[in-house]
Amino acid sequence: MVGRYQITLQARQARSASSAALAALLAIVLALALASVLFVSSGSGVLAGYRVVFSYAFFNPHGAVATLHRAVYLLLCTYAFLLPLRAGLWNIGLPGQVYAGALAAFGVPAVLGMSREAAPGWPPGAVIGLMILAAAAAGAAVGSVAGVLRARLQVNEILVTMMLNSILFWLVSFMIKEGGPLMGATAEGESFTLPLLLRAPLAGGIPVTAALAAAGAVLIDPLLARTALGYRIRAFGENPQAARYGGISPLALSLLVFAAGGATAGLAGYHTFAAIPGVYKIPGNYGFYGDLSFYGLITALIARGSALAAVPIAVLLSGLSLGARFAQGMLRLPFGVDYALLGLLMMTFVASHILDRFRVVWRRTPAGVLQPAPGDSRG
Amino acid sequence: MSDDRAVPLADPATPLLLARGITKRFPGVLALDRVDLEVRAGEVHAILGQNGAGKTTLMNILFGLLRPDEGVLYLRGRRVQFRSPHDAIAAGIGMVHQTRRLVAAHTVLENIILGHPRARGLLRLRRLRPEVEALCARYGVRVDLDARVWQLPEGQRQWVEILKALYGGARILILDEPTSALTPPEVAGLLAGLRTLVQEQGVTVLLVTHKLPIVKASSHRVTILRAGRVVARLVTAEATEDVLVRHMVGRDVAFRPAEDVTAGRPLLQVNGLWAYNDKGLPSVRGITFSLREGEVLGVAGVTGNGQEELAQVLAGLRPPAAGTVVFDGQDITHLPVLQRWQRGIGYVPADRSELASIAAFSLVENTALTYHFDPAFTPRGLLDGAGLEGLTQRIMAAFGVAAPHPYVRARHLSGGNLQRLVLGRVLSRAPRLLIAHLPTQGLDVEATAFVRGKILEARARGAAVVLISEDMDEILSCSDWVAPIYEGRFVAILSRREADPETVGAMMAGLERGVRVP
Repeated sequence: MVGRYQITLQARQARSASSAALAALLAIVLALALASVLFVSSGSGVLAGYRVVFSYAFFNPHGAVATLHRAVYLLLCTYAFLLPLRAGLWNIGLPGQVYAGALAAFGVPAVLGMSREAAPGWPPGAVIGLMILAAAAAGAAVGSVAGVLRARLQVNEILVTMMLNSILFWLVSFMIKEGGPLMGATAEGESFTLPLLLRAPLAGGIPVTAALAAAGAVLIDPLLARTALGYRIRAFGENPQAARYGGISPLALSLLVFAAGGATAGLAGYHTFAAIPGVYKIPGNYGFYGDLSFYGLITALIARGSALAAVPIAVLLSGLSLGARFAQGMLRLPFGVDYALLGLLMMTFVASHILDRFRVVWRRTPAGVLQPAPGDSRG
Repeated sequence: MSDDRAVPLADPATPLLLARGITKRFPGVLALDRVDLEVRAGEVHAILGQNGAGKTTLMNILFGLLRPDEGVLYLRGRRVQFRSPHDAIAAGIGMVHQTRRLVAAHTVLENIILGHPRARGLLRLRRLRPEVEALCARYGVRVDLDARVWQLPEGQRQWVEILKALYGGARILILDEPTSALTPPEVAGLLAGLRTLVQEQGVTVLLVTHKLPIVKASSHRVTILRAGRVVARLVTAEATEDVLVRHMVGRDVAFRPAEDVTAGRPLLQVNGLWAYNDKGLPSVRGITFSLREGEVLGVAGVTGNGQEELAQVLAGLRPPAAGTVVFDGQDITHLPVLQRWQRGIGYVPADRSELASIAAFSLVENTALTYHFDPAFTPRGLLDGAGLEGLTQRIMAAFGVAAPHPYVRARHLSGGNLQRLVLGRVLSRAPRLLIAHLPTQGLDVEATAFVRGKILEARARGAAVVLISEDMDEILSCSDWVAPIYEGRFVAILSRREADPETVGAMMAGLERGVRVP
C-alpha cells in the first residue's frame, strides 16, 4: 500500500503477438544502448561504432552474405533444439550432432574415394544429395541415443547429450588429424577440402541449405499447431503423463523429436563445413562452430518455441556477432566485444519476457471499504 | 500478533472473522460475487456448496493465497490484508488443503516443525520434540512422531497437517474438504478430534465441504454458497438435510439406482493378475474375475489396496508382473495404450487434473487427447479443428460442463467440471469396457448423481464397467457384482443380493468371511 494506492505485479492473461514483438524490439534497443559503453571506452563514437557494425553485417556485400550463412547455421541449430523442446525435452547435444553431420558429409566422398576429385561414374549431384542425407542421418542417429535412453531408462537427456558432445568432438579430432581417414593433404589438423564438383550448388552465393532453413521456418510452426503429430509433441511436452494416458508412446515420441532435431543439427554441420563458399572443409578450429551452435538454443528460447519468430532473431544474432567482430578489428575495440554484445542482448531478451508476462498495476483502494468494521467501537 | 491466544471476546456475537463484499474474478468467470462471511469464535462453521460454487476460492482469500478484487477482511474487529499465507499464519490462521502438502520421506516431527520460525538454521529436533509432544497431548492427538509420512494412512497424514497448523500458532483452522480421502472410521475420528479442539481448546474451525452428513454432524452454523454467491446462512441444528440440499443445488435431486439389465456375452477375463506399485512392492496380488457386457463390477476398498495399480494395468499404463487380461477373446495383456483406446477400452482415472487432462491446453485440445489417433478427426494427418470443437461443445452440453467457451484452458475449470469433461470425453468414444476410478470423488450431490447416471447409461448400452470406489452407496447402487479389495486381492466376488453394507465393509477391512451375524 502506498497511501490509498496499491501496486501489484499481475500475470497477464493473454499476450498478443504484437506485444511480444514490441517487447523484443525494446530489448534490442536496450541492449544496444547498454553495449554503447563498450564503444565509448575505446574512444570511438557510439554511433560511428554501430554504423560500422550494422553496415558490415547487413549492407556490406561480403558481410551480408556471411550474415546469411551464419543465420542459416543458427536456424538449423534452432530447429534442432526447438523440436525436442516442444516435447518438453532439452537437446543440449547440438555441437555433437553438428559434428556428426559434418563427419558423415565428408565421409561420403572419402568412402567413395573422391577426396581429391570427383570420380567418374557417380553424378556429382547424386553424391551431394547423398552427403546431405548422410549428414541428416548421422545427426539423427546421435540424437536418437539420447531419445532412447530417456524413454527407456529415464536417463536425463541433458547429461547424455552433453557427453555425446565430448565424444563427437574427439571423434572429429581423430578423423581429421594425423593419419585420420578424413585428414587433409597437408596434415594441418584439418579435413581434406571438398573437390570442386562436390560443393553445394549456389544461387547468388547462397547454398541450397538456405532453402532447408527457410522451409523449416515456414513449415515447423503449422506442423506443431495443426497436425496430429504436432499435437502429440505438444501434449507430451505439456504433460507427459496425460500424453501417455492418451495413447502417446513416450519411446516413439522421444525418439522422433530427438531424431528430427538431430537431423537438422546434422544439416547445420553439412551447411557450415561443406556448403559455405570459402570453407569446404572441417577446419582445425571446428570447436568454435560447436560453441556457436548453442546460440541456436538461445534463439529458440527467445523465439518462445516458434520457428518463424526465430528467423529475425537468428539474423540479428548472426549479424551482430559478425559486425561486432569486424568493428573490433577496424576500430581496435577490446577483445570480445561481439560476445559482450550477444550476452547483453540475451539478458535484455530474458528481461523483456518477464516484463511482457507481468504488468505493474496501480489501483486506488475504494474509499468505502476503509470505514471501520462493526465492533471496532467496542475495541 | 503475539496476543492471539487471548481469544474470548466480550460479546459472543462479535464475529472473530468477518468478510465483507468479497469479489473475485477469474478470466471469464465470476468466482465470488460480493460474499459476506461471519465466523464466531469457538464455533465450527461449515461452508457448504457444490463444485465450482467458490468455496475454495473464498478460503484461499482468507488464507492469503489469493487477493480479492473487491471486499475487506476483518479479524477480531480489525481490518487485515493478507499479502501471502505468511501474513495469515502470523495472524493465527492455519489451512489444511484438500491435497496433502507434506514431505513424504520425512518423519512426522520433521514435517510438523518444517517452516516454523523456530526451525530455521540448525534443526534442534531433540529440543523441539517435547513441545510437539505437549501439543499432541493437549489436543489429544495420537500419532507416531518418528513415523515417515509415507507410511501413514491418509487420516493420520491429515492430523499431521492439522498439528502443523496448530504448532504454527493457528487459532482459526480452515479445513478444505477434509473428509474426501478418508475412510468412514477416519471421518468419525476427525470429527471427534475437531470437537475436542473447539470445545476444550477454543479453536475456531472453518470446514469446507459438499457433504451434508459432515455438515450436520459437526457444525454449529453453515454458510451456503451457490455459483459464487451466499444463498443462505443457517444455524445447523435448525436446518434439515432437505433444506440444505435445496439451498445448495437450487432444486431437489434424486438418483435412481441401477435396474436389472440382462448381461450379454463375456467381454473381459482377468486371470491371476499381479502388478508392482511405484515402490516396487507387489500391490495387485493375484486378481481373477470375468465380466460380461452390460455388467458393472464394483471394486470396493480403501484407497491404497491396489486399486490404482489394477486400473492402470487394465488401461495399459502399468505392465503386469504376472497373469493375463483377455478382452473380447483376444489376449491384451501387453497391448499398448493406444490400441486399447482403439478397441474400445476407456479409462477415467482418479487423477483427472494430472493424468486425464492437460492444464495448459484448451478444452478442445483436451478432447483431442483421446481423438488424435482417430481417422475421423485427423484427415490427412491434420487435426480437424472444427470437428473437435463441435465434439467438445456436444460433450459440454451433454455433461453440463460450465465454461464460457470451448477454448478456455482446462486449468480454469473446477474439479467437478473437469471430471464431467473427462467422463464425457471417455464416454463419447462409446467404450465397450469402461474403467472408472473414483468417478465421483470430490463431486457434489448433483454431479455425483449425474455421473452415476451416465455410468449406468453406458451399462444399459451394453458396456462392461469396472467401477472402483470407496463410496459404499456408489458401489451398492451401481454394481451387479461387488468385489471388496484388500491388500491387492479380491476378498470375494459377491452378487448384488449378497452384498450388504456390513459384509462389504467388513471385507474391505480384511475380514475374509465378512461379519458373522450372531
